[in-house]
Amino acid sequence: MRRLTESQYRATIADVFAPDVPIAGRFERAQRADGLIAVGSSVGGMSAFGFEQYDASARGIAAEVTGEKRRAQFVPCQPKSANAFDAACATKFVDTYGLKLFRRPLARDERARFVGVAKAAQARLGGFYQGLEYALVGMLQSPHFLLRMERTEPDPQHRGALRLDAWSKATRLSYFLTNSTPDAELLRAAGAGELDTDQGLARQVDRLIASPKLEAAVRAFFWDMLQFDGFNDLFKDPVIYPAYNSSVARDAQEQTLRTIVSLLVTERGDYRDLFTTRKTWLTRPLGIVYRMPVATRNGWEQAEYPAYSNRSGILTDISMLALHSHPGRSSATLRGKSLREVFLCQHVPDPPANVNFTAVDQVSRPGSTARMRLAEHNDNPVCAGCHKLTDPIGLTLENFDGSGGFRAKENGAELDLKGMLDGATFAGAPGLGQTMHDNPNVPICLVDKLYRSAVGREVVDAEGPYLDYLATTFGASGYRVPELMRAIALSKTFYAVALPAVPAKTQTAAAARKGDRS
Amino acid sequence: MERNREGMRRVGQRLMGPGAIALMGLALASVPSQRAVRAAAPPPVPAAPTPEVLREVFHNGEAGFVVTEIAYALGPDAKGSGSCPAGMSRGIRDLIKAYKDSPDGQRRTDEAEQAYERRVGMAVHAGAGGQNLCMHPELAGPDPLWRMVSGADVRVDGIDLDGQDSAPGKRPAAGTCGHQDFQGTHGERGIDNQFYRVVGCVPGFQSTGQANGWQTEMYTGSWGILISLKGVDDLRNDPDVQVGIYANADPIQLSAARAALPYATYAIDQDPRFRAVAHGRIVDGVLTIDPVDIRLHNIVNSMKDERVLRDARLRLTFTADGGMEGFLAGYTPVDDMYNLQFGSRQSRTAKGDLAPERIRIQVSQGREDAFGHTCTGVYHALQQAADGLRDPATGRCTGISTQYRIRIAPAFVVDTPTKSVNAPLAAR
Repeated sequence: MRRLTESQYRATIADVFAPDVPIAGRFERAQRADGLIAVGSSVGGMSAFGFEQYDASARGIAAEVTGEKRRAQFVPCQPKSANAFDAACATKFVDTYGLKLFRRPLARDERARFVGVAKAAQARLGGFYQGLEYALVGMLQSPHFLLRMERTEPDPQHRGALRLDAWSKATRLSYFLTNSTPDAELLRAAGAGELDTDQGLARQVDRLIASPKLEAAVRAFFWDMLQFDGFNDLFKDPVIYPAYNSSVARDAQEQTLRTIVSLLVTERGDYRDLFTTRKTWLTRPLGIVYRMPVATRNGWEQAEYPAYSNRSGILTDISMLALHSHPGRSSATLRGKSLREVFLCQHVPDPPANVNFTAVDQVSRPGSTARMRLAEHNDNPVCAGCHKLTDPIGLTLENFDGSGGFRAKENGAELDLKGMLDGATFAGAPGLGQTMHDNPNVPICLVDKLYRSAVGREVVDAEGPYLDYLATTFGASGYRVPELMRAIALSKTFYAVALPAVPAKTQTAAAARKGDRS
Repeated sequence: MERNREGMRRVGQRLMGPGAIALMGLALASVPSQRAVRAAAPPPVPAAPTPEVLREVFHNGEAGFVVTEIAYALGPDAKGSGSCPAGMSRGIRDLIKAYKDSPDGQRRTDEAEQAYERRVGMAVHAGAGGQNLCMHPELAGPDPLWRMVSGADVRVDGIDLDGQDSAPGKRPAAGTCGHQDFQGTHGERGIDNQFYRVVGCVPGFQSTGQANGWQTEMYTGSWGILISLKGVDDLRNDPDVQVGIYANADPIQLSAARAALPYATYAIDQDPRFRAVAHGRIVDGVLTIDPVDIRLHNIVNSMKDERVLRDARLRLTFTADGGMEGFLAGYTPVDDMYNLQFGSRQSRTAKGDLAPERIRIQVSQGREDAFGHTCTGVYHALQQAADGLRDPATGRCTGISTQYRIRIAPAFVVDTPTKSVNAPLAAR
C-alpha cells in the first residue's frame, strides 16, 4: 500500500478529469525514507490535517466536475427527470469514475454505496447533480483512491503462491512509467487479462515507454532523488545573495529537471553525461545568477555553460549548489555529503551534538577560505572522520557561492579546488563531474534508487542478484534510463508480492468486523 | 564560447599592457592623462574593476549595461553656496499667498470654502482668457521674481558640450547662444549646464527637494535605459568604439532591497526612434562619444513623455563592480523640457492617446506645488537660458544644456522583440 504523492495526486486528477480542474487543498509534507519519498509513501501515516486537506480538495474537484458550467464535459449521461432520481445515470457516473479513481472496477457493494450516497444527497439537496457531487466527494476521500492498495490473487502458475491482480499490476506499472493513474488502454488491457501474459505486458510497457508521459515519471523520480522538496525550507540571506529569490528557487529546480529530461528522455542519452554536460536551460532570473544572457523574456531557452565558466553537469546547477549550502555561505561539507548520499547511495552520519562550529562559522575573515576553516575545524578527530568523506569532494565546488553564483576568490584569497573521490584525484567542478561520470558506483546507485522508487520499499537481501543484473543491463544499454525502466517494468521481480496484501474479493478480519465502509 | 574567452583575454591584455594584467587596477587609477594634466586637480578616478570582473562584463569586445541611477547633475544647494544671491524663485504658493493677501483675494462673506479656493485657483492658474497657464505658459510674460543661479564661483560637474569656456560677451560656439559656463569641482572649465542655472534657485531642485527623484519610475519598471559597447579592444585607450544608447523594453531587475541587479538581460526597444548609436573612444580609461541625438521614455503618474537629448555626449569611467559612472549630457529642446518636467502639455496614455487635459493640468499644478515653481516662470526662464540648438532662421536658441549624472551596471543587452505577459491586458 502506498500513498499517492502530491505530484501523483495532481497528475491523476488532471488525467481523470482535466488539467485545469482546481485542487484546493494543501499537501502534507512528504515523508522521506532512506533517501526517497517514494519509499516513505509506503510507511508514512496520515494526520487529521492531511485528511482535512484531502477533504477540501475532494469538495473542490467534485463541485467543479458536477457544477453547471462543466457538467456536460464530465458527466457521461443526463438525468431523465429534473426531480426524480435517475439510478441508471448515477450508476454510470459512479462506474465511470470509480474505475478511474480506484484503478479497478468497483465491487457491487461499493457501487451500491456510492449510488446510494448520490440518491440520499439528492433527496436532501434537491438536485441530481448535487447527488453526484457528494458521491464523487466520497470516492475522492476514499483510501482506495488516496492509497494505492494492491490486491493479490492465486498465481495459477505457482500453486499456493499469490500474485498481483491485473489491476494492481496496471497501477504499479502506470505510476512507475507515467507517474499517474492507468490510462484507458492500460485499464482495458488489465480487464482483458493481457498483463498476465509476457507479450501483453511487453506491449503495454513499450507503449508507455514511448509515450510523452515517460517524461513525467523521469521528472518525478529525479525530483525525489535530488531531494528538491528541500527547497520548501531553503532560505538565502538577501543581503548576501540579492539575486536569489523565489523565482530563482523555482526555476533552478526546473532547470535541472529539464536538463535531465532533455538528456535522458528526449535524446535517450547516457545517464553519466549528466555530470559532464554543459547543455542546460535558462530563464531570465537564472541568467542573473549565472551571469549569462537570456533573450527570452518569459519562458525557457536552451543554453550552454561557457567553457570558462567552470560549470559542467548538474552538480554545478544552482539547484544543487544552493540547496546544499547555508543561508549565507557555501558548504563544502553539505555538498560533499549530498553527493555521496544522493548519487553514490552512501550514508554520511550526522555531526555529533556537541560539535564546535566556531572555526567554520568565521566566514568573513580576510584571506580565509573554506578549506582553511575546515582544516582548523578538523583538528577535532571526532569531526575529522566524517569530513574526510565529504570535504574532499565539496571543496572542489568552492568557486560557487551559497546561491550557486560563481566566485573566483573567497575573502580575497585564491581557491584551492583540488579534490579526491574514492581514490581519484581531480580539481574543480569539471574534474568532479568527470570523476563522477567515470565512477562505477554512480550508475549502480541509480539502479538501486530507481528500483526502490518503483517498488516503494527497501531492497531485501534476496534481491541483490537481481539488482546486479539490472546494473549490468543498464551498462549494456549505454546507461539509457528508459531502457533501465523498461527492464524493471518487464521483470517479474517488479510485480512480486513482497508485503502482506489483501487478496481480491477477500477482507481482513478487522475490516470485516468494521464492515469496511471505505 | 572559446572565442569569447579569447576575445576577453585580448581585451584584458590590451587594457593592462603585456604582463601587467594584475596591475591593471592600479594602472587605471594612477596614470595621469593628458587631459588630467591640463586640469588643476583631476577628478578622482573610481576604483577599477579586476580582470575577473572584466571577464564577465566583456565578451568579444562587447559589453552591455543598464542605467541604475540617473538624475539631473545639479550644482550646490542655494543655501550656503551663494549660488542664488538674489534669493529663491517665487513659487506658486507665494503667488497664492500674495493673492489671498490682496483685496481681491479676500474671502467674501457669503462665499463657500470650495468656491473661494476655486476662485483663488483661477486667479493664479488661469490666464486672461481663462486658459490654464500650465497648459499655455506663453500667455503670461516672464516672471520678474524668477531667480537664476548667478553666483560667481558656483562649481558644477559635467561635460563641456560646445567645446569652449563660454562667457557673456564672448563669441558663442557654432550653433549656440551666449551664456556663462560653469567650472567643475576639480577646476575643469567650459561645463554647459543651463538647466541647473534655471532651476538651481527653485526649492524642489535643492538636494532635499522632490524634483530630482524621477528615477523612481525607472525602479517600478516603467522605463529604462540601456548602453552597449562594441569593438572594444583596449579598455584604457581605444580610439574606435561603438556606443549604443537605447530605451529599455524590459523592466529593471531588482533585489528584495530594491537595488538593481547586475547581469540581467534586457531587450532594446524595437522602435528605432529610441535607439541611438555613436562613435566613441576611450582615452586613459574615460569613455566619451561623438554627439548623437537620443530619445528615451519617461513615465510619471502613468503618463508617457519622451526625454530628448540632442547632440548628446557621454563621459564614463569604469567602477570596481564592472559598471561605469559619469555624465550623460546634451541639449534638450526647451518645449520638450517644459513638457517633461513641468507642464504636461503632451503627456500620453499607455495606448498613445493624448492624456485627458484634466489629468495633465492636475499633474502640472501638482508639480508647481511640490517643486515650488510656477509654470509660466519656468517656461520663460527656460526660453531665456536656452543655449543650444540655435535656429538659423531666427537666431534664437531652442535647446537648453542638460546634464545627467548616471551610474550603469553590467547587463546583457539583446535586440529581440519582447513583451510582458500582461500585454493582452494592457491592450484592452
